[in-house]
Amino acid sequence: MSLPESNVQQPPYEPKIIGFLCNWCSYAGADLAGTSRLSYPPNIRIVRVQCSGRVSPELVLKAFHEGADGVIVLGCHIGDCHYIDGNHRTSKRIPMLRQLLAYAGIEPDRLRLEWVSAAEGERFATIVKEFTETVRALGPIKQVMVTG
Amino acid sequence: MDEEHMLEAVRQKILEIMPQVDGVIALRRVGKGTAPHLFLPGDDLSELALFPQFPLPTPVRIIQAKYPDKRFAVVVRGCDERQLVEMAKRQQIFLDKLTMIGVACTKEQAEYCRCEMPFPKQVDVGETVEGIPQTFLDEFLAKPREERLAFWKHAFAKCIKCYGCRNICPECFCKECVLEDNLWVTSGTVPPPFPMFHLIRAMHTVGKCVACGECERTCPADIPLTILYKLLKRDVETVFNYYAGANPEEPPLMDSTIFLADMDMLHPPRR
Amino acid sequence: MTPTHESEKPRIGVFVCYCGSNIAATVDVEKVAEYAATLPNVVFTQTNKYTCSDPGQEEIRKAIIEHKLNRVVIAACSPRMHEVTWRRLLQGTGLNPYLLQVANIREHVSWVHQDRGEATQKAKELVAAAVERVPLHEPLEPRQVKIAPSTLIVGGGIAGIQAALDIANAGYHVYLVEKQPSIGGNMAKLDKTFPTLDCAMCILAPKMVDAGRHENITLFSYSEVESVEGHVGQFRVRIKRKPRYVKEDVCTGCGLCTQACVLKDRILSEFEMGMGKRGAAYIPFPQAVPLKAVIDPEHCLLLTRGKCSMKCIKACGPGAIDFKQQEEFIEIEVGTIILATGFELYDMSALPQYGYGRYDNVVDGLQFERLCNASGPTEGRIVTKDGRVPEAIAFLHCIGSRDENTNPYCSQLCCMHTLKLAHLAREKTPARIYEFYIDLRAGGKGYEEFYKRVQHEGIHFIRGKGSEVVQDGDKLIVRAEDTLLGKVVEVPVDMVVLALGMVPPKDIENIARIFNINRSRDGFFMEAHPKLRPAETNVEGVFLAGACQGPKDIPATVAHASAAAAQALSLMSRGQATIEPIIAEVIAEKCSACGECIVACPFKAIRMDEEARHAYVVSAMCKGCGTCAAACPSKAIKMAHFTDQQLIAEIEGILGRMSEYELA
Repeated sequence: MSLPESNVQQPPYEPKIIGFLCNWCSYAGADLAGTSRLSYPPNIRIVRVQCSGRVSPELVLKAFHEGADGVIVLGCHIGDCHYIDGNHRTSKRIPMLRQLLAYAGIEPDRLRLEWVSAAEGERFATIVKEFTETVRALGPIKQVMVTG
Repeated sequence: MDEEHMLEAVRQKILEIMPQVDGVIALRRVGKGTAPHLFLPGDDLSELALFPQFPLPTPVRIIQAKYPDKRFAVVVRGCDERQLVEMAKRQQIFLDKLTMIGVACTKEQAEYCRCEMPFPKQVDVGETVEGIPQTFLDEFLAKPREERLAFWKHAFAKCIKCYGCRNICPECFCKECVLEDNLWVTSGTVPPPFPMFHLIRAMHTVGKCVACGECERTCPADIPLTILYKLLKRDVETVFNYYAGANPEEPPLMDSTIFLADMDMLHPPRR
Repeated sequence: MTPTHESEKPRIGVFVCYCGSNIAATVDVEKVAEYAATLPNVVFTQTNKYTCSDPGQEEIRKAIIEHKLNRVVIAACSPRMHEVTWRRLLQGTGLNPYLLQVANIREHVSWVHQDRGEATQKAKELVAAAVERVPLHEPLEPRQVKIAPSTLIVGGGIAGIQAALDIANAGYHVYLVEKQPSIGGNMAKLDKTFPTLDCAMCILAPKMVDAGRHENITLFSYSEVESVEGHVGQFRVRIKRKPRYVKEDVCTGCGLCTQACVLKDRILSEFEMGMGKRGAAYIPFPQAVPLKAVIDPEHCLLLTRGKCSMKCIKACGPGAIDFKQQEEFIEIEVGTIILATGFELYDMSALPQYGYGRYDNVVDGLQFERLCNASGPTEGRIVTKDGRVPEAIAFLHCIGSRDENTNPYCSQLCCMHTLKLAHLAREKTPARIYEFYIDLRAGGKGYEEFYKRVQHEGIHFIRGKGSEVVQDGDKLIVRAEDTLLGKVVEVPVDMVVLALGMVPPKDIENIARIFNINRSRDGFFMEAHPKLRPAETNVEGVFLAGACQGPKDIPATVAHASAAAAQALSLMSRGQATIEPIIAEVIAEKCSACGECIVACPFKAIRMDEEARHAYVVSAMCKGCGTCAAACPSKAIKMAHFTDQQLIAEIEGILGRMSEYELA
């Protein structure tokens, strides 16, 4: 299926951001941002996973491949993971993938990992604001892919 | 020690060990090249060879799987040994049924492989020479990002998806490979869609790759894959203090005992 | 349940919620529904005022039946809110509850975005993602496991005892494991309890005796849990019994060996908090349960040096002493587990400025309790180490609590505890009494009243945290800033009592690892929900009782312990438990037995079939995090309800099928 996107007139660039959020802390934190009516840019689309440890590097690459301009992975703080230490794996995989992106010439800042607890609605909103601006400044991923 | 002397020393070592094992896995001269060979007790060792080198861990895996109760020895270089250790951590080979005959590579060989550590832990034959400094990695990193991107685009555009890099790699022992799965890498397109194929493979080398360089030497399109893999390997070493193949007792990298709690370390300054 | 139509073509119903004006104020709900109708496989769309309400649910129910829907997408509030509600609704219509996908257009859209156009567009994309994902959903069946009618309780303090008695009285068997030679825990060391001033031992001892004698309680004192395997309903527990060097079944508890011991009164007594002494053969305290002697292997001359006159053996009439005893291991199977491992006092090595451990007359609250206690080392006389009746005593609050450098949290009961100690000191001595406090917290039944009472007992309250204690001759000088007067005061006293914070026991990390329990940031065990599931953990069948979950006073501990017991009982009386079917599964043909999943699994739920050479998931132990699926290089692990295909469909639904990037 396709979304109604005009091919005739290019709209101004709005970054598309995929957020992988763990169900127990970060998704709840995002919910809290909602309950607290904290506003943030609408660019992020949240995909719920049970644990940030579920987010494989392949999934992140796939999101970029499908056109995400930025990917953010949010999990429980170290030590607070609902699955004891599922997020320890995340803390290795995502930084390594960032390194790889950098080595491959793709801006590593298109990928971000943060810990957001269920009580940190405000932190969630702040991070999303920051990240949206970062990705906006980097420009469309398509541009990265076709230049050079 | 020249090649002929080394070969003779290995031969002696094999003869010494042979009574205690069911066979020795080593290289055998075939025409101008070499091929992996299982020397059985009493076999003629005149065709034993060391060069051109070929990675022996995969033959070890196959032979051990076929004869799980037998004990074998294998002639290993530094890279072979480290690969065997990582494979043992993943149940692919069994170190308790394997004797290693360690051969230190010559200076020429080390230079040819741009090898950082051209000797196994236990050297039975040869004299250890110093590793080759990996200055080319820093030279690569000194390029601006756009140039790096252009570099890889140019390189990956040459990929004909022959899977040679994967097939030669001893650490690529999966029964099913995600690179062949249409879910991850669109089938039927050459070159494979960037960044899926090559970056997935690069991620799969993390914590396993010992930088033997066979992938790059095998690649018919001359894609300098080891630059990516070696950069990642260096990070694994400096950030996680994990040295692939160094210690069979240590759990694999992804074990929970090694992790980063410090967020500053999650965002290393390299761009 | 009628079979689902999984083999049929997906027939998706999309229900978009107004949530009154909560969603509708920012999202054009009708537009979203109209858009949804254009998406593939969508055969029915509807908007509802309140999808969670009875009429809203009825609409969905009718639509599922009338339009033969086999997949449902609900765009409404967070799935954390009502996913369970709607799953039940689907189940009621005969549809598998997992054939539902919820798009969160309230918390993640209408409440956080103001622009109607942008919010509506985002809502559409989230609905599109759900519509892409839901056809890939598979029906999942919750699994049933049998619950063995027995409980392991770790820790024999008041929490463990209370929970054990509750469960045993209900007719279920309890294995109570205590690492000390006697049960009783910290409460047994107290003299009186606040605010009623009951004698602690008088109310505790009968419970200890009950627990020791109960036909449904097997007590393993001087024992520790070595390992736990299995899952809810069927935990296999290995218990290590340390050698007492005294045959428990022969010892009568007469105490003659303790009198005879060559080292009598030469070893600091743990029970007396180091204020009194015992021998190498000893009974921890007169009310100990079990009332059996124990020989301390760290001090006993025979056990440490191999040479002793062994007077204990001669003294023991029944011949209970047995120096050949070895560690023993016992294996049991239980259906439920309650952890009641309690607390320790803050380790003062990080705060040397208070002279604790250096000056004789700087003591902690529990040590002071022993001084107050009639059966304590001073027979209840409050005296300094050299036997003087103190002329002044200072109580310092919040040492190792409410301090960013030590523990940021409030230990909750030290205010009341310290007020009680001040009261006891007032009763027993003519001393001037000072309380150095930050602020006094007296929330609890009868607590404020008790505080008032103590205020009128001539006790000096100084609002300022004691910062330092120094010795000056035979006086101790307490320094603090009196924040009400705004000046530093130096008060000479004869005795300083530190209200030490409550911290998790030193071995809590090990216990957490054995039972796979999380800990919260303060280091205590983490409950499943801070408000609604305070006695449960994230491991099904494992419950928490008392201060192991966080500082608690006795009433709170007892209530928490009974809550844990009730949870365990309700599970055992049902006899079986339902386990969430969102779990991982290894696709054996794809597995190359590398074991990456095994090291990735936080729950040790994945094992290797060495023969067949593939990993497999012990489904009852799997909690469904999916870490294994991410770790598997072959993608040979299927994480139910969060499969790669499902997540990718969701991503593609969001991003649309953009053309693949071709290399330049």
